[in-house]
Amino acid sequence: MGNKGFHVTGLAALAAVVFITQVAPAVAEDKVKLKIATGSGVVQAGRTERAFLKVSLTGFALPEGGARAPVNVAIVLDRSGSMSGEKIAKAKEAALLAVDRLGGDDTVALVAYNHTVSVLVPSTKVSDRTGIRKAISELFADGNTALFAGVSKGAEEVRKFIDRNRVNRVVLLSDGLANVGPSSPGDLGYLGSSLFKEGISVTTIGLGGGYNEDLMAELARRSDGNHAFAENAVDLARIFTYEFGDVLSVVAREVVVEVRCAPGVRPIRVLGRDAEVSGQNVYARMNQLYGSQEKYLLVEVELPPGADGATRELATVHASYANTVTRTTDVLGGSVSVRYSASPDAVAKSAVDDVMVSAVELVANEANKNAVLLRDRGNVVEARRVLDNNASFLSDNAARYKSKKLDRAATMNRGHAEALNPAAGKDWNVQRKAMRDAEFEADMQQAW
Amino acid sequence: MKPGLFAILALIVLIPVGLLAALGVRLARDEREMVRHRLDALVDGRLADVDASIARLLEQRGRELERVTEIGSFDPASIRAAVRGARLVRQMFVLDGKGRLEFPSADKEPTETERAFLARTDRIWKDKERFARPSDGTTAAASGWYAWYADNDLNLIFWRRAEGGKVVGTEVDRIALAADIVAALPDTAAARSGTADTRLSLTDSAGRAVYEWGAYEPGKKEKPRAALPLSAPLGSWKLSYFAPASDLDATFGKSSLLPAMAGAAALALVLGGLAVLVYRESSREARLAHERVTFVNQVSHELKTPLTNIRMYAELLEDSLDEGDERSAAYLKVVVDESRRLTRLIGNVLAFARKDRHKLALRLAPGCVDDLVAAVIAQFRPALEGKNVKIRFEAGAPGIVMLDPDAAGQILGNLLSNVEKYGAAGGLAHLETRAQGGRTTILVADKGPGVPAAERERIFEPFHRLSDKATDGVSGTGIGLTIARELARLHGGDVRLVDASEGAAFEVTLDTPPAEGGCT
Repeated sequence: MGNKGFHVTGLAALAAVVFITQVAPAVAEDKVKLKIATGSGVVQAGRTERAFLKVSLTGFALPEGGARAPVNVAIVLDRSGSMSGEKIAKAKEAALLAVDRLGGDDTVALVAYNHTVSVLVPSTKVSDRTGIRKAISELFADGNTALFAGVSKGAEEVRKFIDRNRVNRVVLLSDGLANVGPSSPGDLGYLGSSLFKEGISVTTIGLGGGYNEDLMAELARRSDGNHAFAENAVDLARIFTYEFGDVLSVVAREVVVEVRCAPGVRPIRVLGRDAEVSGQNVYARMNQLYGSQEKYLLVEVELPPGADGATRELATVHASYANTVTRTTDVLGGSVSVRYSASPDAVAKSAVDDVMVSAVELVANEANKNAVLLRDRGNVVEARRVLDNNASFLSDNAARYKSKKLDRAATMNRGHAEALNPAAGKDWNVQRKAMRDAEFEADMQQAW
Repeated sequence: MKPGLFAILALIVLIPVGLLAALGVRLARDEREMVRHRLDALVDGRLADVDASIARLLEQRGRELERVTEIGSFDPASIRAAVRGARLVRQMFVLDGKGRLEFPSADKEPTETERAFLARTDRIWKDKERFARPSDGTTAAASGWYAWYADNDLNLIFWRRAEGGKVVGTEVDRIALAADIVAALPDTAAARSGTADTRLSLTDSAGRAVYEWGAYEPGKKEKPRAALPLSAPLGSWKLSYFAPASDLDATFGKSSLLPAMAGAAALALVLGGLAVLVYRESSREARLAHERVTFVNQVSHELKTPLTNIRMYAELLEDSLDEGDERSAAYLKVVVDESRRLTRLIGNVLAFARKDRHKLALRLAPGCVDDLVAAVIAQFRPALEGKNVKIRFEAGAPGIVMLDPDAAGQILGNLLSNVEKYGAAGGLAHLETRAQGGRTTILVADKGPGVPAAERERIFEPFHRLSDKATDGVSGTGIGLTIARELARLHGGDVRLVDASEGAAFEVTLDTPPAEGGCT
């Protein structure tokens, strides 16, 4: 999609329509909250319209001092030659920190790879901390980067204790390009998809300017893990803390969201995360929900013309998940409708800020990706123009919906556009990693 | 003699050592070859084991995939649900009874992934018989693998026959399968325990490494020690085995060559030590003998002049002695005889010294052998008769011949001296001369104890003396026979010990060309 066309589409969509949220019933303390809303509750009558449909799931706060889901994690460390020195030292510190946060019921494995893979600590209960600490502290770095095999072995360790009531995760830290085994972003994406089907997520942490951010982001995205860019080794402790904070707060697993559009309503695209679209139906899955965090599915739909004053049901939503606290499978449901109005004023007034902010954010994110693509092709001027336009688009909408989030995004976009100026003398390689990281966070609603 | 001895000793040392070393090397090579074969078999076995484990995994995954396809109905929702839960499956498809693709289909609201599947498998559906009938025309199988190439690699489909002539299949996610295989294979930490460091590498159809394990780091261009293609359906994947070249030596090779070499070296050391000892001992003896001869030679020279004077004046005195002074005559005779004996002795010593320096030479002059023999007998008569030895002389060489009288006299003197010293117990000294065709033979025999058979030749060696009762307490230089033989050989003949019924019998042959005249 060209930037210009997209821009217009985005604004048109935002100009459209208001109204209606139906909140899921029985919002108990230990239940995930389902919220279904459109960008506006009222749409323009008499013509084919588009609307954003946001289906959001918010994890409940873990009960204070209560039991959480046991964690089943494999830490996979790149120990190729480029990791030597401060990087491996900080990585070891971070890994030790992570192990300290785990409890006796959790299991952890330590896998290190260079050109070959060594399972240094096979999956084991964290109660044996000394052995784990020893293996971590004995790590040293040299050789090549068999990332694929490292993740495969890490996953195999996780499989040993795999359980739907556990948080099954591989945490991968790499600073280099995969060069032994399947090594393209597409291939690692397939690996992520396959692990996702088993309920294993891979969190990828890229360190420094030498790793392949497309590959790392793709692996995390397809497996529903987190992704982070650590520009310096000192950032690792912070990132591991966030990651294990997430891992330790999982409240729901095997989350399934099905959106069934009403007759005549057609899903056009899903922004951000992956979803299956078949005819009227949109199907999406997440491996987990974290405590007090919102994850959502944003679908753009096309609805047929309606008469002034008419009401139309847009979609019904079904969601289910495994509750890690109550150990039950919970089912949620709801539907959303819009009203047609001939008055543009009524349409404008009905805008739902929260939905529109998410929509603007993801639409801008697409533009951001496009800018990266343009820069990759060497078209710096066009890339800057896209980012500048995107920044204006974001700041306009930030003002309209009074969103600090969009304002921050606008500032960042402007900064990225500025950095692309050859006169700024910035390292594109590093900037690209930061941009991919931000894109990922927006698409997947990663909280950090 | 010394260089010869050195060469012999060197050979004695080198030949066995060389043989042992060659044998050792050969044995080691044979063993190495055997070990290599054994190792090759071991490596082949290891690769075959890995292949078998991958084949087992695929078999297991085949069953797993078959279960995935066992769904109640082949409607899109059920199929999609099945795919969502199957980690190895990228897409599932259904062919109708006529081999046409029923699902996924462009008409059935395909998802994006289903559309992509249709695009990338387009050419497979043109070959409708593919899953229905096996290529060899035998009875149609109920299920199986189908492999095709795309994305520069092997892609697999597992299919089975379903009710109503339908075929249901799953497109295997090759990345997930690769991850599965990687997970099942050993890691480097596990591979390290126990055995020597090696490297195994699994490569895909394009020769790219899928997975490698083992701590050994082969060089960039290093050729694998062994390679094995995987069993079907992954037939275009390959396993390679790398190990350091020194691995063979480290395990077996050196251990067999080393003892052989050590053995050879030890033997060389021992034999060499012995050779050095022998060589040093022998050269010491020779040096001592040489010193002795030199000393005696010098002494003899110093003795010769006074002795000649003593003899001359004794003989003069003998001539001028009054008749009837029997006592003085007898005394004087002793002086003369003993001085003659000494002269002979000194003559021998000097001759030996000359022989050693290769300076012996003859001075031929016309003379009569019988006369010469008689003269020598006359010299020994008193001494022999003093020991009750009778002298019998059968003269048969009366002609005048060319000879060195001094040499011939010295030979005879030495032989008769031996009779006096060793053969006196027999009571007889028998001498006999014969002349025939320019050669003269002189036999000197006694009836004494004789010479043991083993010593017959050695008595001619210098300083060799028989050690038995006959020689005990008898003094001698040990060079008499040596000088006698040397002089006789110089004279174109020899001195030999001939067989005799009893005692010792020496036969002297001399080359004596005839000369004018007769004996006196």
